Amino acid sequence: MASSAPRKRAATVITEVDATRATDLYRTVARIRAAELVLQRHITEHGFGGFWHPGLGQEGVQAGAVAALRTDDYMFIAHRGLGYALAKGMSLESLFGDLFARTVGSTGGKGGGTVHFVDPERGVLGQGGAIGSSFVLGAGAAISGQMLGTDRVCAIFFGDGASSRGTWHESALQASVWKLPIVWICENNGWAVSARISEQSPTENIADRASAYGVPGVIVDGQDAIAVFDAVTEAVDRARAGHGPTLIEAKTMRIRGHYEGDRQKYRDDLLVGDEIPRDPLGILREHVPASVADQLDDDARHEAESVLASVLEAPRADPSIIYKDVWS
Amino acid sequence: MTEQRTQESPGDGVSTINYALAINHAMAEEMRRDSRVWILGQDVGRMGGVFGVTRGLLDEFGPLRVRDTAINETFIVGAAAGAAMTGTIPIAELQFADFMLIAGDEIFGKLAKWRYMHGGKLSLPAVVRVPTGLLGGVGAEHSQSLEVLGMHFPGVKVALPSTPADAKGLLKSAIRDPNPVLFFEHKGLYRVKGEVPDDPEFLVPFGVAAVRRRGDALTVIATGMMVDRTLAAADVLAREGHEVEVIDPRTLVPLDMETILESVQRTGRAMIVHEAVRTAGAGAEIASRIHEELFFALDAPVWRLGAIDTPIPQDPELEQLCIPQVPGIVEAMRGLIAL
Repeated sequence: MASSAPRKRAATVITEVDATRATDLYRTVARIRAAELVLQRHITEHGFGGFWHPGLGQEGVQAGAVAALRTDDYMFIAHRGLGYALAKGMSLESLFGDLFARTVGSTGGKGGGTVHFVDPERGVLGQGGAIGSSFVLGAGAAISGQMLGTDRVCAIFFGDGASSRGTWHESALQASVWKLPIVWICENNGWAVSARISEQSPTENIADRASAYGVPGVIVDGQDAIAVFDAVTEAVDRARAGHGPTLIEAKTMRIRGHYEGDRQKYRDDLLVGDEIPRDPLGILREHVPASVADQLDDDARHEAESVLASVLEAPRADPSIIYKDVWS
Repeated sequence: MTEQRTQESPGDGVSTINYALAINHAMAEEMRRDSRVWILGQDVGRMGGVFGVTRGLLDEFGPLRVRDTAINETFIVGAAAGAAMTGTIPIAELQFADFMLIAGDEIFGKLAKWRYMHGGKLSLPAVVRVPTGLLGGVGAEHSQSLEVLGMHFPGVKVALPSTPADAKGLLKSAIRDPNPVLFFEHKGLYRVKGEVPDDPEFLVPFGVAAVRRRGDALTVIATGMMVDRTLAAADVLAREGHEVEVIDPRTLVPLDMETILESVQRTGRAMIVHEAVRTAGAGAEIASRIHEELFFALDAPVWRLGAIDTPIPQDPELEQLCIPQVPGIVEAMRGLIAL
C-alpha cells in the first residue's frame, strides 16, 4: 500500500451504528458552524482586536477527524477556525475567551485574536504560529506517548500551504522510519493565503507524496464528515497498532478570506462569499432526521450566541499578566 | 587547569576526567535516575557523537532513549519541544552551535515562548546541547559563539561551562530544570581534564557565578574558553603586582549580576572577555548594566574584549587572530589598570 498512489475512499454505506455517529457529527459540525457565524457577525459589526482565520466550510474535516481520536490522544491544530479544539472537548467559553482576551480563556486572558488554544488534559497542544511548525512538535509528542508506555496517537492538522515547509519533509522521513504513531491530516482548501495549490505543488494531490515517505496516502472528501471519520479511524488504528503514520488529504474549500476582513482581490473563483457548496451539514442531513437536525442547529446557535455574550461580559486580565509564565 | 579553578578538594568521591566525559556522566546519571530522560541527535547513538560525548549511552539505555536522527536539526529540536510539552525530558544534541539557526523557530519560537503564550499550561523541560566556539580549522559555519542569542530571546536559560566540574553539575541542573536550556559546550575544552565530584547529587546551580581568582585591581568577567586565558593573563599581572579578580558567570540566563557588581564596587574597574563577536555580544549587556548600576563607583569605563567583526577564517592560525589571546588580554588589563 505504501508504495502505491494515494487511495480514494469510496462513499460510506450507512448502518444503524453509523446513524448515531452521523447525529453526533452533525451536532459537532453545527456547533462549530454556529461559532464561526457568530464570530463572523461580531467581527463585521464590531471589529476585532486581532486576526481571525475563519474555518467556515471546513467544519466537516475538523469534526470527522477529531471524532476518530480518543480524548487522551494528542492533537496539533491548524489555524483555520476553532473547530478542532471544540470537537476535542474544550469549552466554547474558553475558546471565545481566548479570542477576546478574557480571563475565561484557556490562556487566562493573555490570548486574543489568534488561535493558540491548548488544553493538555484533552490532548490539545496548540498551533504553530510559524505555519508548518507543528510537524516536528507533533513527532515529539508521539515519541513521548511511546516512551511513557501509552498507546496515544498524535494527529497533526495542516493546510496545503504548510505542506511546502521543510519541517514536513524532515518529519515525514523520520516519523516513517521510526514508525511513530502519527496521523497527518491535510485540509487542502486550495489556497495558501493568495497562492493557489497549483502554484505550490507540481502534483494535483498532497497525498501523492506519501509513497515517497513510505507511508499510506489517502484522499477523502473533506465535506463528508463521515468519510473523514472513517479514513482517520483507519489511520488511527494503524498508528496505535505500531504500524506508523498515515497521510490523509481531505479535499475542502476556503469560503472566506485568509483572515476575516481579507478582501481577496487576488481571487477570481466563485466560492467567495457565504455560500457553502457541498455544505458538510447538508451532506450529514442525508443521515439525520430533519427534526433532529433542526433542533441541533437551534441548540448550537443558542449556545454560540449566549457564550459570546457572556464572554464579552467577562473581565480582561490584570495587566500584570504580561509578566507571568515566562518560566516554570 | 590552574589551582584556582579546582573547586573541590581532591580525595574520595572525586575523579579526574575530561570535560566531554563529565558531560557524558551527567547524562548517564540523570538517565539512570529518571526514565523520562532521553537523547536525540545526529550520530549520538552508534557513533557516540561526533565529539564522542554520548559514547556508551546507546549500549546502556537502548535505541528508544538514545535516538540517532537523520540530518534534520529542525526535527531534532522541534521533536524535543513536542516531547518536552508531553511529559518526557529530551536532551537534543546539535553537532555545532551554529546549527541552532537551522532550528531557530524551534528554539526561539517554541521552546522559549510556548509556555508564556499558552498561559503557563505547558512546561518545556528540554536541554539543547550545542558545541560552541573555535576548534581549529572547522570554518566560519562551525565556529561561532552565539550564546548571546539566548539572552535576547526571553524564555530560554543559557549555560556556558568552562570546567569539567561545572559541565557536569550545570548539565545535571539543566536536565532537572523545568525550563528549556541552551547548553553551550566549548569544543576546545572537551579534552581538558579536571576534578569532578562522583556524587550523583552533585549539582551546580544556575545563576551563581564562580569567582575563579580574587583580586582588587580589576574585575574581569570571562566566559567559556576565555576563562583559562584570562586566568593566565591574571598570573602575568600578579607578577607585576596587580591582583585581578576573575569571575566566570557560568550561566548567562540567569545572570549573577550581584556577584559581578559586588566585585566591581570593590575594584572600580571592569572588563569582559568573551570569544563571541564583541559587537552586541553578552559583554555589551554586562558592561551596560555595570555602567547603569555603578557609574559613580567606576574609576574607568568598562572595557570589552571579543572577536573581531568578521566571519571566522578556516585556517587554524588565522582563526586565533580573530579572538582574544593571552598577550592581548594582558595588554588590555595593564591599560585599564593604568587609566
